[in-house]
Amino acid sequence: MSITLNADTSSGLVMTSDTSGEIKLQSAGADIATVDSSGITMASGKSVSGGEIIQNGGPAFRASINSDLGVSVSTWTKVPFDTEEFDTNSNYDNATNYRFTPTVAGYYQANASVRVNYSGAAGDFVWVRIYKNGTAYNGHYNRDANGQPYGSVNVSDLVYMNGSSDYIEVYFQTNHNTATISNGIESKFSASLVRLA
Amino acid sequence: MTLYEKITTLYTELTSDDFFPDTGTIVLQNDSDGRGDYIKSWEHPTLAKPTQEQLDGIN
Repeated sequence: MSITLNADTSSGLVMTSDTSGEIKLQSAGADIATVDSSGITMASGKSVSGGEIIQNGGPAFRASINSDLGVSVSTWTKVPFDTEEFDTNSNYDNATNYRFTPTVAGYYQANASVRVNYSGAAGDFVWVRIYKNGTAYNGHYNRDANGQPYGSVNVSDLVYMNGSSDYIEVYFQTNHNTATISNGIESKFSASLVRLA
Repeated sequence: MTLYEKITTLYTELTSDDFFPDTGTIVLQNDSDGRGDYIKSWEHPTLAKPTQEQLDGIN
């Protein structure tokens, strides 16, 4: 139990009291925040704005791929990062669309890296892009200088996300015809809230 | 045979430059949704976008 302060849309302020030492702030009966001896905790999906506030508990995730993935030559392929290492707000879809759709509006630091195994030749390229809402947002590519057995590439950027429909994904392309994306530590996708909207 | 391989078999004059990101005129994509590779956009100045029937006829 806890003390509740509810800004009700018909009765105005409705207060209940107990001796728990905890206060819940509510709007129309829905929890917004809880205050107790440890501090203030926002309810899931709720945020604080308008101040210089360090955000603890904002959405953050990191994902990898479970097994090596063959990719078609010269084809932008969404990288199916299917293994979550953490996903604090359950905003990353690791099963169907392999996309991050945060439920808190704000600015996110997004990072993607991909390692590809191949028998590269000079001039071969590896290219990774962050896509926002299905459109390329930022990318980076590397060219193989002298025929290496693998290549890697990474990209990072700040992305504004509206907290409802905006999502980001990672696409990859190479012009080598027998390339395989490695499931090693070099292939990762992560993002974290760094500033509220 | 990949979609890229089918297209370059059909149009032997195409090179990897035609598919190069941003500067090429043909974009192939795969959304990892089980539907496979597809032509995202085709803006080649002289060659027509291949039909599904043409692609299916290449093995």
